[in-house]
Amino acid sequence: MKSMKKALIVLSMIGLLLAPVFAAGVQEKASTTLNVYTIMPEKYATTVFEEFTKDTGIQVNFVRLSSGEALARLIAEKANPQVDALWGGPADTYEAGVLEGVFEVYVPSEASAIPAQFKSSKGYWTGIGVIPLTFLSSNSFLKEKGLQPPTSWNDLLDPRYYNALQMADVRTSGTATERVYSLIQVWGEDKAYEYQKQLHKNIQLYTKSGAGGAMPIATGQAGSGIFYIVDALDIQQQGYDLVISYPVEGVTYGVEGSGIVKGAKNLDAAKKLMDWASSKRLGQVMVDNKINYIPTRPDVVVTNPALDMSKVKLLETSVAWKGANRERLVQRWIDEVIQGQ
Amino acid sequence: MMKRDPALFMALVTVWLSFAVFIFLPFLRLLGATFVVDGKLSLANVKTVLSKAYNVKALYGSLVLATAVSITGTVVGYLFALAVTRTRISKVTKGIIGAVAMLPLISPPFTSSISLTLALGPNGMLLKALGIGDFSIYGFLGTWISETLTYFPVAFMVITAVLNTMSATLDDAALSLGASRWRMFRTLTIPLSLPAIVNSILLLFGASLADFATPLILGGHAFPVLPTEAYLLITGMFDLKGGATMSFLLLVPALLVFFLQRMMLGKKSFVSVTGKSGSRTEFARLPQSLNVVIAVVCLIVVAFIIYLYAIILWGSLVKVWSVNNTPTLEHYRYVFKHGQKAIKDTVLIAIISTVIGSLLAVVIGFMIQRKEFVGRRLLEFSSMLNYALPGTVVGIAYIIAFNTKPLVLTGTLSILVAAYVFRYYATGIRSVIASLEQIDPALEEASLSLGAGTVRTFTHITVPLIIPALISGMRYLFIHCMTAISATIFLVSVRWTLLTTRILESMTELQFSQASAFSIVLIAIVFLADFILKHVLKFTTAHITRSQEISYEQIGA
Repeated sequence: MKSMKKALIVLSMIGLLLAPVFAAGVQEKASTTLNVYTIMPEKYATTVFEEFTKDTGIQVNFVRLSSGEALARLIAEKANPQVDALWGGPADTYEAGVLEGVFEVYVPSEASAIPAQFKSSKGYWTGIGVIPLTFLSSNSFLKEKGLQPPTSWNDLLDPRYYNALQMADVRTSGTATERVYSLIQVWGEDKAYEYQKQLHKNIQLYTKSGAGGAMPIATGQAGSGIFYIVDALDIQQQGYDLVISYPVEGVTYGVEGSGIVKGAKNLDAAKKLMDWASSKRLGQVMVDNKINYIPTRPDVVVTNPALDMSKVKLLETSVAWKGANRERLVQRWIDEVIQGQ
Repeated sequence: MMKRDPALFMALVTVWLSFAVFIFLPFLRLLGATFVVDGKLSLANVKTVLSKAYNVKALYGSLVLATAVSITGTVVGYLFALAVTRTRISKVTKGIIGAVAMLPLISPPFTSSISLTLALGPNGMLLKALGIGDFSIYGFLGTWISETLTYFPVAFMVITAVLNTMSATLDDAALSLGASRWRMFRTLTIPLSLPAIVNSILLLFGASLADFATPLILGGHAFPVLPTEAYLLITGMFDLKGGATMSFLLLVPALLVFFLQRMMLGKKSFVSVTGKSGSRTEFARLPQSLNVVIAVVCLIVVAFIIYLYAIILWGSLVKVWSVNNTPTLEHYRYVFKHGQKAIKDTVLIAIISTVIGSLLAVVIGFMIQRKEFVGRRLLEFSSMLNYALPGTVVGIAYIIAFNTKPLVLTGTLSILVAAYVFRYYATGIRSVIASLEQIDPALEEASLSLGAGTVRTFTHITVPLIIPALISGMRYLFIHCMTAISATIFLVSVRWTLLTTRILESMTELQFSQASAFSIVLIAIVFLADFILKHVLKFTTAHITRSQEISYEQIGA
């Protein structure tokens, strides 16, 4: 009898007391740590935050999430924010977050040196990098099919690309919504959707993440796809036989943002991170470590020729427009491209 | 009854209390998100979801897939279980079969999905080797193959435990009464293992119904299923209400399967361990034709699994997969440098969850199968609720429920432990129930009438008899805590992070080699822990089981 009672008491103790005990056990020093959700890939964030810690002494705890997951969490945690800042990720995610009221206004110390199209007009977020879209193709695939690297959006409609394209799903990926913005800039909305319906016939798979299709292209499972330059360069630098090309009609570019979460518990440290990010220092760290974003500070010198945009036609779309139209465009994509087949 | 059984009363209070906090509270918060629009009860969300043909297609797809996976998975699992319990193949071979069958279970589903696409996807290595040209893995077929491979080990574990607890003297009796081996198998072995078969189908149906990772990678856009669509809606459109509503559509089939199981098994008796049998003999041989089927299926499945995991191992040991095949250990150095915290966190969380979860499973399973009290059915159903719901939804529900006072748990270890315990102890409960269904209550009645109390009877008679089932439940729980991702991807925090999310990150960051190395490390940890768990339990329970005639040496590897 005793042993069972003991077991039961232990059980109830575990069930009911464990939680608060562990919750209470978490205490941290306010000014020297910073908790961050990063949408920027972990391998880059690790390097960037190490440099930030060196400069300021502030330790950064972070977890990497996709942009959709990060925003879903910030919204769910609104009443009791678990992090102080959001780092990286497309600026339209930030705009969507602003509408949900999850961001704090803060204009970093050197924000004036960043062009207006790379930051929030109301001061909710500040751009830390710029990434245009690009075509990424497998050289062996092109050779096998007798194709040249694509130089127009229409090239991808060629039947020789049948079942050979992998690109991201518009529902989950910022890369994919950027693709939609680009097409709308090139042709207007209706024609852009007409094009995507045609393109759909050559699609092998829509991947969850923006970079998800790059590895299949590298290993020859797929032939070509559309990616942000940062992902395309990353896999090319790993040594795969790939070619990067741009459409003559032009591409839009994503702005990678950073912002302070409303109700941040380490507000001062979060402000320091934003100040640091607006300085030339961040751009230099990215250039030095082959993190392939184009810095938002025009006064940082980019050394990688692949990031030289002088021959690429860049199309402008305001981040505010992206944020305001994203949901509608995604829904239209589901209705017409995915379900319309 | 309750007045005479204070231990039952206390156990009930504890269990209901924990359910209230960790099952009902999040569930109700989620119900609120689904059915409350502008402060009023409304069906508007449900209407919106069902008005779209694509969502109805997804519901249909989920049902077809879950049915297919639960059948093929159970058949394959049953054949594997027969191989290790009823054939004369050597112990070493049985060990290998058991170990290989564990592989898909102990690696996160997306890991095997990815090596599956490398083998059978467009330009896949196996397709090239076999000379098959136009074959598309994306869609129903690929998802079905991958989920069958991932979940058949569950069937294998559950069925093996029950096949082992059967009494071999029944085989002898059947054969000496003149039955053929086929007749013995058909009228004795299969009917007696029916509880395990039904439980396995139920578990697999539920697992497939809730799996979002496999269809995410292999389903493609032509074969939508609900949990994946719900996940995409939540993470892509930030539409928690829509996602929650979609998931609720999954509750209907989950409920249906549950009641079906009650109807089928409710009145039949499956008692085979009665305490009246004589000394133990070996199980009788199976019919020869069945042996051939078992050999062929096991061989093909084992070879295919080894092939898939060889790809992962290879990927973790070369510089750049398929381009630069120089052997290197640099990916493992990366894992131990950058993944150390994730490894420590994951193991700690898995250990705590396994201990709490299996304690709960024994108590709950025992109460449901052996005790009479008001609300027993409700208790059984409630215990399965988090398991029946897709993990993504449980994760989001936990965030909503535990991010505000009175219970602020987001960002803590406890929220991860609670999510795992109340989701995956279901397997423990099912296997405890399945094994109790085989044990004649007369054994316990004898103990009671000889003057032992209910508690003494429980600890000295019931627990030893269900230990094989409990071990299989514990192993499953531990494995799931190490590998599951769907619920906890929303619950990892800057303080507590998991190996599985690190693997998924590496995959999405194009670090295939690092992802492979992480997977291999995870598999090694699970194998090691499994080995320790099995032997420690065997050692500590040796004094109880010596007097019993139940061997659990053969519960797989």
